[in-house]
Amino acid sequence: MTLGKSLMAASVSIAAMITMAPAVFAQEATLVFASNEVGQPTYNPVKATSLNVASSLIFDRLVAQDANRVYHPHLAKSWEEAEDGMSWIFHLKQGVTFHNGAAFNAQTVADWIPMFDGTDNAYLVAAVEAVEVVDEHTVKFVMKHPDPNLLYNLASAFMGVPEPKSFAEMGDNFGVTDAIGTGPYKMQSFAIGEQTVLVRNEDYTWGSPLAENTGPAKFEYLTFREIAEESTAFLELKTGGVDMLLSVPADFVPEVEKESDLKLVSVPGRELVYMVLNVVKEPFTDIKVRKAAALAINQREILDNIYSGIGQVADTFLISALPEANVADEYRIAYNPDKANALLDEAGWEMGADGVRMKDGKPLEVSLWTQSDSVFRRLTEVVQAQLKAVGINGQIATFDSAMIRDQYKSGDQQVAVRSYIWDNADIVDWFFGADRLGYPNISMFDDPKAEDLRAAAMTGSKSSAERIANFTVYHEYVLSQFPVAPIYQPVISVGYNTSRITLPDTFNAPAVSATVLMDMAPVE
Amino acid sequence: MLGYLIRRVLLLIPVFLAVSVVIFSIIHMIPGDPIDNLLKIGAGPDQREIITARYGLDKPLVVQYWIWLSGVMQGDLGTAIVARRPVADLIAQALPHSLTLGLCALAFSSFFGIVLGTIAALNRDRWIDQIIMTVVLMGSTIPGFWLGLLLILVFSVWLGMFPVSGARDLSSLVLPVLTVGLGGTALVARVTRVAMIEAGQRDFLMLLHAKGMRPLRIQLRHVLRHALIPVVTILSLRIGWILGGAVTVEVVFARPGLGTLLIKSLNQHDYPVVQACLLILAMAVMLGTLAGDIIQAAMDPRVRAAL
Repeated sequence: MTLGKSLMAASVSIAAMITMAPAVFAQEATLVFASNEVGQPTYNPVKATSLNVASSLIFDRLVAQDANRVYHPHLAKSWEEAEDGMSWIFHLKQGVTFHNGAAFNAQTVADWIPMFDGTDNAYLVAAVEAVEVVDEHTVKFVMKHPDPNLLYNLASAFMGVPEPKSFAEMGDNFGVTDAIGTGPYKMQSFAIGEQTVLVRNEDYTWGSPLAENTGPAKFEYLTFREIAEESTAFLELKTGGVDMLLSVPADFVPEVEKESDLKLVSVPGRELVYMVLNVVKEPFTDIKVRKAAALAINQREILDNIYSGIGQVADTFLISALPEANVADEYRIAYNPDKANALLDEAGWEMGADGVRMKDGKPLEVSLWTQSDSVFRRLTEVVQAQLKAVGINGQIATFDSAMIRDQYKSGDQQVAVRSYIWDNADIVDWFFGADRLGYPNISMFDDPKAEDLRAAAMTGSKSSAERIANFTVYHEYVLSQFPVAPIYQPVISVGYNTSRITLPDTFNAPAVSATVLMDMAPVE
Repeated sequence: MLGYLIRRVLLLIPVFLAVSVVIFSIIHMIPGDPIDNLLKIGAGPDQREIITARYGLDKPLVVQYWIWLSGVMQGDLGTAIVARRPVADLIAQALPHSLTLGLCALAFSSFFGIVLGTIAALNRDRWIDQIIMTVVLMGSTIPGFWLGLLLILVFSVWLGMFPVSGARDLSSLVLPVLTVGLGGTALVARVTRVAMIEAGQRDFLMLLHAKGMRPLRIQLRHVLRHALIPVVTILSLRIGWILGGAVTVEVVFARPGLGTLLIKSLNQHDYPVVQACLLILAMAVMLGTLAGDIIQAAMDPRVRAAL
């Protein structure tokens, strides 16, 4: 072949590739993880201590939760709980296979639960005594003690079901070089801190009915990139370098709204922003002062001015989707400046000429701790102004997010503005249990009555309904003592490029997960 | 030359030990520990003790240091606590990206620095010299983090010429190399200019002029050669600086590499990874200095005699 001919052949094939390119590219989408999901070291659900959203595409779970935290069947098509809470029977879906062709059946579940022994995630199944195979597609969990939280654990990312045989064979490489589950995508490549490439599982027909699409996914390839710097991630979306940000930082929401080909969809969040009051530090040893500070916070004003009205105000310590957040109205903490002022007067703090209250010659001055991130700083400045309005003078101190936990352990904090991400009522135990004073119990709350209620909620419940009732009472009691003032419930804003991707306007999921991404389709 | 080399390498051992002590103690003195990152909400309070003991973090610091150092001496950098992989694997994945960026940036700043410095020296005190030196001074004062974002804004967002981030192909290397390289270019240009002006005042040049050699040939063949000795020193010192200086640039451009790994591990207090990253950066500075000294000694016999 002469040089001229080779050149012509080459240019023809390049031209063909260019004309074919849109069709090929349409089957791919590039997504960016939320910045707090960057750096996940493994996709091994049993051993991992953190997991990102891609793991929900590789591994399916037995049960799924909808936006209202109600449990729905997924790999388990139905279940029954014994009245005394001492056993559970799960009926499994038939015809489900793993990425390597192995069948998913009762034996899979029996092999899987013991894998948790000795891992940091062992507590998820600590209440399970044994797993018995009833028949090919029925399995029975025999319990050591009732665990009404079992369904919550089964729905968590850490209980995605891995293929037991390859799990045993691959050892520590499972989840790193390959990860075999029953999910709608298979792992093609994974470079820690860089990107994960997934390829569609063509045989997939058992998607959760919470998504419209229960068959194979619409995109053939998904690339999840890890970008720690939020402004870089936003610029990638803006310039078309990526198609979707799984969590658009609050600062960039207005910027995304400005772009004509970008769109935002909100998913209910699992985050709650709140103010903590240290109950063993003056002046907050006085419950009247604590209550006054809590009632001085104008949640609506914060929602409208700092978060542009996106999200919800918070008036309990739990996200409102949880049933345990449904406390009696008298326990809800809402803005009431008149009451706040009256309480401070009652406590003996008299308004001074400079707008700061005084008692025994001392001004009402408190330290106000927060993280150095820009959103937290701005929020804390507003909290400072709102406290000032009732005569409490707050001095803001900011700490690096990696360092602030250690500062809390010192117990020197008076007021702190912070947030948590969790969607189970046991967060009340985590932050107000007397065995975790300093950190995570920043408020240093140590109350005998609360401890009794907490024990009942954590270990004394036999059924889900009983657990909800116990936790509601515990939650109400904690709220009545004002170690905390709830502020705001953010939503997760998913930003995507409308010229590349279509998405439904609402999602029936508690967070961005497989249920959300299964309904994502390429623009034709 | 061999004796010089051996003496110079032996000198690295005490420096290495001192650096390792400093790195270890600083990391462990920073408030916070990796356990908080491993404890999930819902885990029992006793889980903390179990995890602390598992990673030997309950042992006295001196014992922990000895375990780490003896591992490092045998080529074992340990296992990451939060990332749960051999640290060597994490480094092996990150280092090639950092080296590519560092070497390209070094080549960029050497080439443009020497060229600009030479042009400035040849046109000493004329307008062209003043323009080059002003631009170069500005270039050396801009922080890499800010310059990176500026370049992204201009070349990626407005002009759409290069990708915003990542490390997929060569085009994604251009802006990071520019960001890291521009500061170095300024430094090299300034040193080249001063060194050429100094070398230009040597006596032997008079002889060359008297012999009738063309001035440009004198400048490029004789003056530049003498001037390059301090430039080489500066460049070798830059090797360590470039790897270290690329830390923030890697984060801005979401490029994998030592910097990204270091920042992530610092936030998680993943001690073994942070220690290994800092040790490698320190080694890069040490080896860069060593390389500079050796090259200098090879170029100039007086340096060999001095040690």
